[in-house]
Amino acid sequence: MANTKSIISALFDDDDVLLKSIKSIREKGHKIREVYTPFPVHGLDHELGLERTRMAITAFIYGVLGLGVAMTLTYYTMIYDWPQNIGGKPSMTWWKNMPAFVPVLFEMTVFFAAHLMVWTYFVRNDMYPGRKAMNPDPRTTDDMFMMEIECSGDEELLRNLLKEVGAVEINLVSKADEAEALAEA
Amino acid sequence: MYQFPAKLKTISYALIGIGLAALLYGFFAGGADAGHGHGHDNRPWASLLINNFFFLGISLGALFFLAVQYAANVGWSAGILRILEGITSFLPVAGGIMLVIVLASMFHLNHLYHWTAEGIMDPESEHFDSIIHGKKAFLNPLFFILRSVIYIIGWAYAAIVLRKLSLQGDRGTDLTWYNKSIKTSAIFLVFFAVTSSMAAWDWIMSIDTHWFSTLFGWYVFAGIFVSSVTTTALIAIHLKNKGHLPWLNDSHIHDLGKFMFAFSIFWTYLWFSQFMLIWYSNIPEEVTYYMPRFGEFKGLFITMLVMNFIFPLLILMSRDSKRNFGFLSFMGAVMIVGHWLNVYIMVTPGTVGLDWSIGFVEIGTFLGYVGLFIWVVFKRLAAVPLLIQHHPMNKESEHFHI
Amino acid sequence: MHYESPVREPLITGDKSYHDITVDVAKPIETNAPRSWWIAFSVSLIAFLWGIGCILYTIGEGIGVWGLNRTVNWAWDITNFVWWVGIGHAGTLISAVLLLFRQKWRMSINRSAEAMTIFAVVQAALFPGIHMGRIWLAYFVFPIPNQFGSLWVNFNSPLLWDVFAISTYFSVSLVFWYVGLIPDFAMLRDRAIKPIQKHIYGILSFGWGGKAKHWQRFEEVSLVLAGLATPLVLSVHTIVSMDFATSVIPGWHTTIFPPYFVAGAIFSGFAMVQTLLLIMRKMFKMEAYITIQHIEMMNIIIMVTGSIVGIAYITELFMAWYSGVEYEQYAFLNRATGPYWWAYWSMMICNVFSPQLMWFKKLRTSIMFTFIISIVVNIGMWFERFVIIVTSLHRDYLPSSWTMFSPSFVDIGIFIGTIGFFFVLFLLYARSFPVIAQAELKTILKSSGENYKKLQDQNHGEH
Repeated sequence: MANTKSIISALFDDDDVLLKSIKSIREKGHKIREVYTPFPVHGLDHELGLERTRMAITAFIYGVLGLGVAMTLTYYTMIYDWPQNIGGKPSMTWWKNMPAFVPVLFEMTVFFAAHLMVWTYFVRNDMYPGRKAMNPDPRTTDDMFMMEIECSGDEELLRNLLKEVGAVEINLVSKADEAEALAEA
Repeated sequence: MYQFPAKLKTISYALIGIGLAALLYGFFAGGADAGHGHGHDNRPWASLLINNFFFLGISLGALFFLAVQYAANVGWSAGILRILEGITSFLPVAGGIMLVIVLASMFHLNHLYHWTAEGIMDPESEHFDSIIHGKKAFLNPLFFILRSVIYIIGWAYAAIVLRKLSLQGDRGTDLTWYNKSIKTSAIFLVFFAVTSSMAAWDWIMSIDTHWFSTLFGWYVFAGIFVSSVTTTALIAIHLKNKGHLPWLNDSHIHDLGKFMFAFSIFWTYLWFSQFMLIWYSNIPEEVTYYMPRFGEFKGLFITMLVMNFIFPLLILMSRDSKRNFGFLSFMGAVMIVGHWLNVYIMVTPGTVGLDWSIGFVEIGTFLGYVGLFIWVVFKRLAAVPLLIQHHPMNKESEHFHI
Repeated sequence: MHYESPVREPLITGDKSYHDITVDVAKPIETNAPRSWWIAFSVSLIAFLWGIGCILYTIGEGIGVWGLNRTVNWAWDITNFVWWVGIGHAGTLISAVLLLFRQKWRMSINRSAEAMTIFAVVQAALFPGIHMGRIWLAYFVFPIPNQFGSLWVNFNSPLLWDVFAISTYFSVSLVFWYVGLIPDFAMLRDRAIKPIQKHIYGILSFGWGGKAKHWQRFEEVSLVLAGLATPLVLSVHTIVSMDFATSVIPGWHTTIFPPYFVAGAIFSGFAMVQTLLLIMRKMFKMEAYITIQHIEMMNIIIMVTGSIVGIAYITELFMAWYSGVEYEQYAFLNRATGPYWWAYWSMMICNVFSPQLMWFKKLRTSIMFTFIISIVVNIGMWFERFVIIVTSLHRDYLPSSWTMFSPSFVDIGIFIGTIGFFFVLFLLYARSFPVIAQAELKTILKSSGENYKKLQDQNHGEH
């Protein structure tokens, strides 16, 4: 870690200004550490170069798991453990009885996919009831957009650049050594 | 302006030639060996009905989709409306042939509809069927022909009116045509809601005359809609690949892919609802319908389900596959064949029965229809610009991004 | 790019900024309740308490205190159950299906519609519970081996499918709703001045901070949940309809039931959303966000789904005749002209004819008219379920056991109680939750806000 690094936070009051500024800041070689916005800004993840999230893939896997559990459950209870003649439905093989199981298969698939994906979402976001608020400035849930930038090089230059691209408020969050401690934690 | 490519035209002529040959073969050469029953004689007629209904459905579904775009103020689709209009131009053609089939059936040139059989409504006759006799108020030749005429004229009229209005959209920025299109579409949708079900009862369900299902009309509609969205996507991809649709981006094609995916599931939902309720209750008068379909047609029936449900479900679920034109075209082709098989299985057990097979007659007729469809639709596409010049949603559609 | 065609009406009226949206959404929570709220709450609470009394009486005495008899062994209880489940469909439909169709107008109404869904499903779930008679044995519905050995629940039974469907639907709707609520709770937390409020909203908001990566995940999770909830919402009423349609009873066994029940559910659900939103809009002065256009859109959906339901009614009638099955034919003849003709025709008038008035723009943009129709539709949908359930049962295959059904005061009391309970929950929600999904709404301000649209049109005109 270079010890010239310090963290600057810049506040914007408009999402379009924010989006445009990202490009010029990144071009100057500054690393944008985090952006806090009050609502999902369309195209922000693309500008920041974030990777595509894999939430949907996890949902698919959980769904397959749910389907498997449901198949096992219906097979074990209705065909293997205690087969019965119910309304003349064929209980000899699972396949023959399957049309009657489809609703349960479907519901279990959705149940697993939805709930486990949301749990994954909470875990990945490190969110849980009573967690301390992650945004450093309460205005970022209202109408302000905050960017945290790791400044490498001249701090004054960065400040000027931020002013130029439309930041309405610029603060120093932490000095170099603090930043390092933060990064280690 | 788009020109109908000479190569495509040649292909379409060749396909039409194959189709005519297949039909001629079916009618004359195939019927040569005597000693077969109605089923055998019906085969070319059934093939004609299957293919004609399938392509009529595609153009009708496109008309429905077009009307929904107007009625619901849809923005993203402005760039594909001309393609939909092109597809609807096949409606009068298929409608005309449908009337020929209907008239031929009513005048006993074939035995597609069991209820037209000799003496079946006559209490004196040995062929008398009291259940079918009970349906006489609805299933009689005069009323049947009249209904068919009403459906086809109504649909064709709506297609023509919408086309005329859209041509005004090329001329100036005045939006009267747009507002009129919204009204026309709303009225058409009401007409369609009633007639699409009734047409399915008439032309398809009455083949298995004893059988009845309240869901049948909606089930047929879902199949029609999937086929026509798929056709739209295929044509859009073709034109886009040739560079004729610069205003369409990946997101538009992606959206069509989503429609293919979603309505495949919807179709399956209706298929399952109808099948499962009949399977579960196991009432003789209803379950007869599924006996041959899970009997001698089982292999075909299951294949059809796999093509129309499992394939789209697994393949079109991912975002990337809907944005890959090659992939989507392949899926489109699978689904077109799948839904053709669906129509085949709806028609064949009640008309051809045990004499069924999918041979030159069926496949040739299908190819002939593909040729005719391409010829009619692309001629229409080449007639005017591929974008309605002053559609109020054009700019919104251009900026469409998902 | 926030471009939107000029032919579209603004969805947020007035000169609103991001901050204004925050303030307007937080206002009902941060200020004292208006008098109208207290009046509505008291009335609902009394109805709820009366309902609790009737439920306790039922549990104590057994379901003999209801009006059921040997022929009509399902009546008000199941009618109410289906009615409430149906109402509980609009919320997920608005938040999921309309999200997939990218309907921006859903954003200022989805939160309350989802809340309504959850509260309606709570009411619905009550009925099968108390209908068991011995509610303390309710755990029998779950697939657990019981004390008689491994005798399992019956997966062939649509009633068991219902257990799975309703519990999945309820829990997934709840989660979907909550995921969307978290950023808005964070907004309330960051604005709160009173420490108690700050603490509570702090717990509820799970530490949300609006990080870019989190928003990215948020959007994908919302989209996947919408994709899952769309078939789910269809499946729930489908399975409810299968409670009837898998049987062999004329009037119940018909293949159109699944999609037709779903259309009916959307129809009644939208009507209830309309009723609630019109009250909320007035009570909390939300006119800038729930505009006449929103009301008009919902009216159009009510009209369309009402027409679909109408077509299904006519299809059923026609097929009953066409089938040639005399029992089918009689079941429908009896519905329309038998002793319950008044229920049938109330249903027809409320559900099929009244929504057709929405073809007139003047009527569908009138608030008073909309309010009346929204209530008429819900009355009609209650009658629909009553007609399906009771008229199919009361004259069965044995004419000697033909009979009529009349509800006891307990039947009526429980029904009124659930309406009270529903409104108690909704009114509490309206005072403590962000009633508009403000974070999402902010995303459309620049494309669909009145002031921004004007600006855009001006710029467009200049070049």
